[in-house]
Amino acid sequence: MIRTSRVGLVHGAFLAFALLLVGRAAKVQLYDGATWRARATRQQVADSPLPAPRGRILDASGNVLVESRQLVKLQIAPKEVWGAPTKPKAVDAARVRLQTVARVLARVGVSSEWARKAVDTTDKWVELPGTYLASDVQELVAVRGVHSTPAIERVPPATDGLRRLVGRADENGEPVDGLEKSLDALLRGTRGTTAELRDAKGHRYDSPGVEGTAARPGHTVVLTINQQLQDIAERALDDAVRGMGAKGGDIVVLDPSSGEVRAMASRRADQRSTVATALTEPYEPGSTLKPFTAARLLDLHRARVDEVVNAYGGKWDYNGRTIEDDHKGTSFTLAQVIQYSSNIGIVQFAQRFTPREQFELMRDMGFGMQTGLPYPGESPGRLVAPKGWDKLTPASMAMGYAITVTPLQLATAYAAIANGGELLEPAIVKEVRASDGTVQYSHTRRVVRRVMTEETARTVRGLLRSVVEGGTAEQANLATFDIAGKTGTAKRTVHGKYVNGSYTASFVGLFPADKPQVVILVKLDDPSKSIYGGKAAAPVSKTIIQAMLASRDASLDRAELASSRITPAPKPASATPVATAAATPTAPVARSDRAAQAFASSANGDSAFEGGDTLVRSVASGSVPFVFRLGEAKKAPPAVVAARAVPSVRGLPLRRAVYALHRAGFRVSLDASGVGDAAATSPDAGTVAPAGTTVHLMRAP
Amino acid sequence: MRGRGIVALVLVGFVLVATGVIWRRSYGTLRAREQSALEQARSALEAERAKLDGDIRDAASRSRLARVAEERLNMRIPSDSQVFVVARPPRRTTRDPH
Repeated sequence: MIRTSRVGLVHGAFLAFALLLVGRAAKVQLYDGATWRARATRQQVADSPLPAPRGRILDASGNVLVESRQLVKLQIAPKEVWGAPTKPKAVDAARVRLQTVARVLARVGVSSEWARKAVDTTDKWVELPGTYLASDVQELVAVRGVHSTPAIERVPPATDGLRRLVGRADENGEPVDGLEKSLDALLRGTRGTTAELRDAKGHRYDSPGVEGTAARPGHTVVLTINQQLQDIAERALDDAVRGMGAKGGDIVVLDPSSGEVRAMASRRADQRSTVATALTEPYEPGSTLKPFTAARLLDLHRARVDEVVNAYGGKWDYNGRTIEDDHKGTSFTLAQVIQYSSNIGIVQFAQRFTPREQFELMRDMGFGMQTGLPYPGESPGRLVAPKGWDKLTPASMAMGYAITVTPLQLATAYAAIANGGELLEPAIVKEVRASDGTVQYSHTRRVVRRVMTEETARTVRGLLRSVVEGGTAEQANLATFDIAGKTGTAKRTVHGKYVNGSYTASFVGLFPADKPQVVILVKLDDPSKSIYGGKAAAPVSKTIIQAMLASRDASLDRAELASSRITPAPKPASATPVATAAATPTAPVARSDRAAQAFASSANGDSAFEGGDTLVRSVASGSVPFVFRLGEAKKAPPAVVAARAVPSVRGLPLRRAVYALHRAGFRVSLDASGVGDAAATSPDAGTVAPAGTTVHLMRAP
Repeated sequence: MRGRGIVALVLVGFVLVATGVIWRRSYGTLRAREQSALEQARSALEAERAKLDGDIRDAASRSRLARVAEERLNMRIPSDSQVFVVARPPRRTTRDPH
């Protein structure tokens, strides 16, 4: 009995111990399992960040402008490569390893100084500068003691103009400027991790048992830029800056029907300039501002195109200042004021505005505020309120001084003349797609406000056509298409003072004149060969249009263009047929006829010249034909002025309230001038009204 | 004898199961390493493809070709009068078949 009890006791003890072990194991494995697993993972698994590729940036046709590619960084442990061999065979193998390292490094372009460091067996660790294609260093990475880590390289656009617009990302993938910075939230992907096992000494081992997380690439951003057109614009600007001895220049090409920027080129003599100056550097536009004065006067029925004012023989003393015209005359109609860019004429016409009206005109055209393009550092330009004006400011502003605008703002305002009177919000981003291809954003045409009636816009286009037909911009003229446009020659300032002999030469063209498909703004800073916009900038516009016509993919709707083409006048019988562009006859007789008809026909809304059997005639004339096959006709976007809600501005200072209403696309009228806060609006906040509706703003008592 | 047989069977079963588990783990590890190597190779090839695509784009870009065409082949951009855009013929109206 006693013996049985002892055995039972021992058995019982073993059983209890076993139960204790099982119980403890159950607690550790089941109850505290998650905690211990997490602790073990922290100790045994090392996570390394896996950089996410930034999204690609494409042009409107789907061509890649910017993309990221995965490269590797190299780290070499020379001691590990050598490996402290003792036997002769091992020494030979170590030598071969070092020779392999030196050979591959030389092949991939590593400098001799770094290559020497990499094989110096007294060094423990060498981090080589730069990034390398994995396939180029495959042989090297296989060598013991050579380590690689993934790195993402951002390949910038090929051309300078695109680089300025798109911006840069540094070697860590962080955006520095341009669209890379403003669209960073879209382009930046989500980082992943790679997991490796770590032993007690900290050594790392690849293990399939531990899984990292995959990096998710950023969104793809499709720009409205057309790469072909961008190349054309950049080359034209390069040639113009060099040919005219200018200090720099800008070109903006805009689609007036959608507000999409098709090309944007900038050049500056200062090599430190890396931004799109067409967005960041405002300038005094000079005479390119005159058509807006004419348009508003016509809209308000305060002037007619055939109304005559005194031109004082080209020199006029006004409020103690002498205003001069280059094209001198005794009297000019409003049409001639625009055609010959008469300062005296436009100042007299502008006197029909009150300062408030003149200020509102400029404000309505979008000057003095940013266009809203997602570009860091976009300038709003400068437009001073009437209370800050002196007695000469209205005259200066009518001539395009006392106000600064960016090239994009001016191109956008001209787009309103081109599209029938609607000021559009310019766009640079056409579409945003997620990494799985789903469309996250697609640009739709957005009307900010109507700034002139369709009839006025058509009339002004007629006036601008006469500028090219027989006015200051004859050098922009084409033989087979009508162009409308306006030149500008404005004095430049340095530290706020005008500098003698320093000018900005500019030209804004609409092509073709009857149904404009593009607005082209060309601006040259301080050209030394010719200061005039008509001679320095207008020919650049012509060069761009000719290159666009000869390019297969340059955002032109050729089906529409066919109807805008005009027949060049037949050459005199004695004329010798020529085949070169430089020697193409310009038919002066037909030109003067067209100049006379340009305004009348445009006022009727018809094209002055109908295209005939141009192909047969021109082939017969001996020139070399370039025939394009037509693609599908482009569908015009619906001309709808989107309605939007009146924003709530209650409690805001009047200035900010007016600004907010303007930004929302409304006109603003105030019950009284002065300072104070906004109390209410009529229509009320939240009321849906079409863009351009006048909102009455009431001041708090 | 019967008891020993059962024990032997259990032991054999244990060895077989353990062998199967170890084989499966080894096989999985091998395949995972192969997969990892293939992924790295794919990544390297993707990078190389991106570089070659970029080189092709640069070589075929208008900015480069236009310059080369003008300098080496004496080509030039045609003037507007030398470019012909053929108007689309009017569409035929389809008859109502009745």
